[in-house]
Amino acid sequence: MLSVLSYGRLVARAVIGGLSQTDGRDYSLVTASCGFGKDIRKGIQKKGMCYGDDACFIARHRSADVLGVADGVGGWRDYGVDPSQFSGTLMKTCERLIKEGRFVPSNPVGVLTTSYYELLQNKVPLLGSSTACIVVLDRQSHRLHTANLGDSGFLVVRGGEVVHRSDEQQHYFNTPFQLSIAPPEAEGEVLSDSPDTADSLSFDVQLGDIILTATDGLFDNMPDYMILHELKRLKNTNYESIQQTARSIAEHAHVLAYDPNYMSPFAQFACDNGLNVRGGKPDDITVLLSIVAEYTD
Amino acid sequence: MERRQSCYMNTYFEEVKPSCMWLGLSGTRGEALSSRRAVESGQRTALPVSVEIDQYAIEVLDFSSHYGSENSMSYTMRNLAGGPNVYPSFGDFTQTAVFRAYGTWWEQCASAPPPFHRTPKSFHSQDYIELAFEEPVYPTAVEVLETYHPGAIVQITACSLNPFSQNPPADVRWEVLWAGEPTKVLTPQARQFSPSIKQLSFPTNLIRLEANSSLLKYYTELDAVVLRGQRERPIMSLYKMPRIDICDLSDSDEELLDPGTSFRRAGDEKYMDLVNGYFDRLPYELIQLIVSHLTLPDLCRLAQTCKLFHQHCCDPLQYTQLSLQPYWPRLNDSSLGYLQSRCTLLQRLNLSWTGGRGALTLTGFSSFMKACGGNLVCLELSCCHFLNEVCLEVISQTCSGLQELNLSSCDRLHPQAFTHISNLTRLRRLVLYRTKIEQTAMLSILTFCTELRHLNLGSCVMIEDYDVVVSMLAVRCRSLRSLDLWRCRNLTERGLAELAVGCRLLEELDLGWCSTLQSSSGCFQHLACNLPHLRKLFLTANRTVCDSDIEELAANCHALQHLDILGTRMVTSTSLRKLLQACPKLLLLDVSFCSQVDARIVQELSGLFPNVAIKKSFTQ
Repeated sequence: MLSVLSYGRLVARAVIGGLSQTDGRDYSLVTASCGFGKDIRKGIQKKGMCYGDDACFIARHRSADVLGVADGVGGWRDYGVDPSQFSGTLMKTCERLIKEGRFVPSNPVGVLTTSYYELLQNKVPLLGSSTACIVVLDRQSHRLHTANLGDSGFLVVRGGEVVHRSDEQQHYFNTPFQLSIAPPEAEGEVLSDSPDTADSLSFDVQLGDIILTATDGLFDNMPDYMILHELKRLKNTNYESIQQTARSIAEHAHVLAYDPNYMSPFAQFACDNGLNVRGGKPDDITVLLSIVAEYTD
Repeated sequence: MERRQSCYMNTYFEEVKPSCMWLGLSGTRGEALSSRRAVESGQRTALPVSVEIDQYAIEVLDFSSHYGSENSMSYTMRNLAGGPNVYPSFGDFTQTAVFRAYGTWWEQCASAPPPFHRTPKSFHSQDYIELAFEEPVYPTAVEVLETYHPGAIVQITACSLNPFSQNPPADVRWEVLWAGEPTKVLTPQARQFSPSIKQLSFPTNLIRLEANSSLLKYYTELDAVVLRGQRERPIMSLYKMPRIDICDLSDSDEELLDPGTSFRRAGDEKYMDLVNGYFDRLPYELIQLIVSHLTLPDLCRLAQTCKLFHQHCCDPLQYTQLSLQPYWPRLNDSSLGYLQSRCTLLQRLNLSWTGGRGALTLTGFSSFMKACGGNLVCLELSCCHFLNEVCLEVISQTCSGLQELNLSSCDRLHPQAFTHISNLTRLRRLVLYRTKIEQTAMLSILTFCTELRHLNLGSCVMIEDYDVVVSMLAVRCRSLRSLDLWRCRNLTERGLAELAVGCRLLEELDLGWCSTLQSSSGCFQHLACNLPHLRKLFLTANRTVCDSDIEELAANCHALQHLDILGTRMVTSTSLRKLLQACPKLLLLDVSFCSQVDARIVQELSGLFPNVAIKKSFTQ
């Protein structure tokens, strides 16, 4: 039986909880990006938001903030196709879709489907494939809607703990689900997953939640506890500190990737599957770090 | 000959000089004084009366055609809204607005209708776009950002109606801000086209661009349109009252009073015979011939001069062909009504682009059709948004002999309306580009309209299964000469095979962006073998076209004139060389984005075959 005091405390907490709920206020994502291409060519950024064969975008719309990452599948290089073209065009198309408002915040898979369809409308015969991960924050409803196809993904961190994460989609080892456009002669042989096979997750977010969207270059080299450790350094919601943290995470992952003795998550997974390997996984790394904040114009 | 004064003379008033009182409303006294001096010396001053604002279009309201797919962002007219995506880059980009056609290639085809008589020389427009802006302003400039093959804009008009207003006024005026000739710009650079525009007496946020791409070497592409203007009416504008535009049909049809005795001079026997001067000496047919060269407004004006010319100008023989498209802003139910009595022998009628925003209604249209549609052979109704199902029913009932029907871009027409077309069993040419026709209506039309020669089903997105439609065509419409299946989503080699066997007389076939056709099925080779009369073949963006297909065309289709194989990676210069040698009549070859045909090969082939325009578009 509750004492009056504890009952009172409960009521007070509920009332204060109700008062501090900023239901009327719109949320937004303050996002910074950083990354490294696998072979550091001239400079880090090829043409804005592209790191090696990875690509990403950050877009704002009246109703939503949207992020995306795409990891171009490197195997195409052997066939004379530049893998960064597909991922880059996919992300640019998603960005354009968002800017023109041709999307529904609660349907991020729709963003992927429409963008993929738009890629086929290009006169230029695009070839290649990539993974894709789209994160949409609905400003008004405070819900985060995500779509993930492949082995890129996101983490949501609250109070120093991972509260949500995406699932990896793999066909088999090192072969993630991927959107692709194949040359006609190889149509049957090339892996091509439909955009609607993307995994979709929606959940509420709170002010102060940290969302980390990245390609497998990060997750294969940095386990959760290291990422969380870096994120502890994030003190406030201003862009500079987010940028700094994103950079330090990307740099750390980059260093680990080339450490031959380090037992990376990738190496761990390989060992679990019977392959005796050690070391990091050199790969393109793309990191988008966001914090849920109040919307200011 | 005595002439009745025409009601509309070319007049313009002298410059209106505003009085000093107006100047006192703004600016300092010192400025006012100097402005007054400036006014009196006939100059403009820079009084900071009104702020100029720049706006990009916020919405594309209507347009006649585009290259891209409905609902897509690539090469569609919706890209003209908002700011520039590409400018100042020059190239073939997806984020621009592109029309369906360019040059004269489409006009050269047998499927193109001959031009209408009496088309005024000043009317060049082939396509149009209507753009809405946020705020109505008094325009001072309209800038069009052209990012590929500039030079297509031929007219800019402004409307007095605010498309977003809740209470639209009854009176809608369109004023021409600028009109010009189609040009082609030789330097390969993006261009900011900003002709000097007329001053308007009303604010506008609805601008219409009209374009003509006939001189261009490739598709023109537009990135954005800027409307610059002032919120307040410029009081310092020393404007000339515009010439009252006498191209006003609704006023030109007033019945002439019976001249009676006023034409006769009393007592002058000689003049009794020559009431119309020496025109009376000319045979009737000769005057008819002379008058047949006048444009329609001139014809209407001449009709008001005297009884003789009234008789000639209202003779139904002058109205066997009637094109009202150049006069689209002024055509309404009453003007159509006035023309009714003269159009009883009408055979070809062009109402394309007319009747929008309530100018033409079912009543006016059906009254005209019932009076004049009996002998109609050709009816052009492109972009006629006033059309509804009942209008189509009226057409099907009154125009039993109709051979040509163009409903291009009538995208607001309900699918049910198309069922009436099957009653027009003599149809030879049917254009349904960008309409919402459904499969059942289409099959019904094909069942009954077996004399079809030219059929355009480009971008008809509501047809579910093109194989079924094409199959029916192959069985019922054996005289088919041209078929446009631009962007038909699900045509496969099955349908194509039946088409090749059933419609042996086929000369033109547009299979652009039909992504479901696979060369590996042999469908293109089968096509080439079975259609020796083929003159035009578009396989745009079919990524499977390969050397064997080209070689088969070279072996069989020696009449080939137009070929588009944009975007395939499988065709090399070897097969192209064979094609160019085997097809002496080839005029157009589009190898844009064909990765194995680079600029060097194009240059070499152009040198060897100078009669062929080899197109190689590029993005960067």
